[in-house]
Amino acid sequence: MSDMQFGPSKALTFGIELELQILNRRDCDLTRGATDLLREIERGGSQSDIKPEITESMIEVATGIHERHADALAELHGIRDTVVKAADRLNLLIAGGGAHPFQHWSERRIFDKPRFKQISSLYGYLAKQFTIFGQHVHIGCADGDSAMYLLHALGRYVPHFIALAASSPYQQGVDTAYDSSRLNSVYAFPLSGRAPVVERWAGFVDYFEKMRAAKVVESMKDFYWDIRPKPEYGTIEVRVFDTPLTVERAAALAAYVQALARRLLIDRPVTVDDDLYLTYTYNRFQACRFGLEGLMIDPHTHEHVAIHDDIVATCEQLAVDGRELQSTAALDQVARWARERGNDARWMREQYAETESLADLMWKQSRYFRTGI
Amino acid sequence: MSPADFQFLPAWPLAVTPLAWVAVLLLSAIVVGEAMRRFLRLSRVLGYLLVGAVLGPHAAGVLDVETLVTLRVFVDIAVGLLLFELGQRVDLGWLRRNPWLLATSVIEAFLTLFAVYAVMRLFNVPAVTAAAAGVLAIATSPAVVITLVKDLRAQGQVTERVMLLTALNTAYAVVGLALIFGWLHFESANASTLMIAHPLYLIIGSLALATLLAAVMILLLRFFGRRPTFQFAITVAFVLLTVAAASTLDLLVPLTLLLLGMLGRVFDRDRHFVSLRFGQSAMLFIVLLFALAGAGLQFRGWLDALPMALGFIAARYLGKLIPIMLLAKPSSMTARKASLVQLGLTPMSGLALLMMQDFAQQAPVLSQGIAASMYLAITILAFAGPMALQFALVRAGETTEDEQ
Repeated sequence: MSDMQFGPSKALTFGIELELQILNRRDCDLTRGATDLLREIERGGSQSDIKPEITESMIEVATGIHERHADALAELHGIRDTVVKAADRLNLLIAGGGAHPFQHWSERRIFDKPRFKQISSLYGYLAKQFTIFGQHVHIGCADGDSAMYLLHALGRYVPHFIALAASSPYQQGVDTAYDSSRLNSVYAFPLSGRAPVVERWAGFVDYFEKMRAAKVVESMKDFYWDIRPKPEYGTIEVRVFDTPLTVERAAALAAYVQALARRLLIDRPVTVDDDLYLTYTYNRFQACRFGLEGLMIDPHTHEHVAIHDDIVATCEQLAVDGRELQSTAALDQVARWARERGNDARWMREQYAETESLADLMWKQSRYFRTGI
Repeated sequence: MSPADFQFLPAWPLAVTPLAWVAVLLLSAIVVGEAMRRFLRLSRVLGYLLVGAVLGPHAAGVLDVETLVTLRVFVDIAVGLLLFELGQRVDLGWLRRNPWLLATSVIEAFLTLFAVYAVMRLFNVPAVTAAAAGVLAIATSPAVVITLVKDLRAQGQVTERVMLLTALNTAYAVVGLALIFGWLHFESANASTLMIAHPLYLIIGSLALATLLAAVMILLLRFFGRRPTFQFAITVAFVLLTVAAASTLDLLVPLTLLLLGMLGRVFDRDRHFVSLRFGQSAMLFIVLLFALAGAGLQFRGWLDALPMALGFIAARYLGKLIPIMLLAKPSSMTARKASLVQLGLTPMSGLALLMMQDFAQQAPVLSQGIAASMYLAITILAFAGPMALQFALVRAGETTEDEQ
């Protein structure tokens, strides 16, 4: 029971986790390098939180807890430079992006750690196909009840998050036609989707204990929900972002979630009930498929609106929050991306069109990650 | 019924065409290679070598020397493709980003040279001959390295470093041997000019030729699109062209091929052809290459040759071990993985054999004292090398475990 105690944290603080791709410099395919890369980073005396992930072709970097966008961005810059420098010495490339465009999942090697081995034996090919790369944004919550409220209230904005971060148009060597094909891979897991409609923390703990008693799950980690509570950190974790191609976008997206959280906790505009999720999967599909051009349907008014228009409108409503949280610049950037339909999936398709070489696309992605321009 | 009634039957003994021997060699090499892999979990390469050695002129004699000469063209194609591919897989920019690697490579070469030279001198071998043995010891077999890396689908730091160091030490050895030949030939002539002019011609000439051919090759590939079969055909044609042009111009064939691969990669700015893979069609050449290398191996008189051969192997081992271990840390590698890299550099094979044959041809008298020992050492390392490399790559965790 103690592991389901919601350890409160300072409201509206946030942290960012990014899963990054490790590529070889020859043909820019994914390569095995996590162990050596982590050792090299450690040797350089880095204090940053950099961990292995499920395959040897992936590392996860995480920021500390931040209140301001600028601080988080500065830390991300530092982490990025550390990782890129270590990769240089090992002849590796580091890139963002939600999926590798032409990797062959049968070639991936599962990182040598008991939990990863266990996941691999349970899910078989899914675990290796799960060589996909996401950004997670944690938002601090004062208590479990406000965490559950925020989790459900943010559900309406999940299409925004997906569309803004989408960076996995290519998989297995083809254009999937989706802006975010990565989420399709996530949905193949039985415990993906969304959290149950429960408004109070106590109710959620009941649900979880039943699932645990039924031996469906062992810990919160077994849920691959779009947004899930993380009681030991006292946060909720938004998990629908593809890893953006640059840390600048990653930081701006986190600031957008933070500002939204502030507004939602002040206004308390939604009632948590089943109706809230009436159009959820439809909207989410639209965002994955069409990105910022997708349509979202309001579950209550049944009104159709383009995702990009909804983001611009939302950013206008967040002006006060931006000022309070010192993230106006980041919110302006988000609104500009929405107006210009500029997400990373589009950037990738434009770059690919120039040379029609996916290897070259990955080369450019790694350069983009390194420089941010 | 008289024998005349059966004159449609071929005359006995059968006059077997060389083509049949190629088929026999190929088939038995493939069968034994697969057996090595399946039953002993060893590299197929060992099977190919074994079949070649057994059928070769120094053992069963099924393949005579003439047949070997006929088949030489296959060796040229195979060596050419492998050197080209190794060149393509090597990233010289890495040396800039991690200069300790360059230091490792250079010191590894020099220390190997000096260690072997010193041991040879202990055996009272003349200085030039000892130097030639030292130069030969520098090179790791590019064929074994690239074949095993592909076969085991290895990727990781140990794999990358073994490939890089192999490409470099092969280049050093080739240049080094040319310098020794230059020295042998021109000892009487105006030595000082020639000792500068000849190596310059070799290195700059090989570079210029490789640059030209690589540029034309990439241009053609770009023009004709990206169908894999077409790419393969073009690449083979350019590899052959390189072999022919470089030998006509008396340039260094292996060096030119390595450079062709490296420069081809540099010129391929849109990264269309970086993943050029020779796949199944190249396997034919590889099998023949190793089988023919096996046929060149010698086992006669090995007892007398053994002490010097072992001395050579030990000196070569130390010459590589010391710098790689000492420079492990600055070049960003753990001691454990550095020792695996060093093991991975053990293989010697066809290229060493060719170089030794060249030396024997150029300096018949000088080479006499070491020839038997050198052939024996190469034979030992031809079999021990693939095992050491496979062991290293598996222990480094860089191979694909579910490989059949």
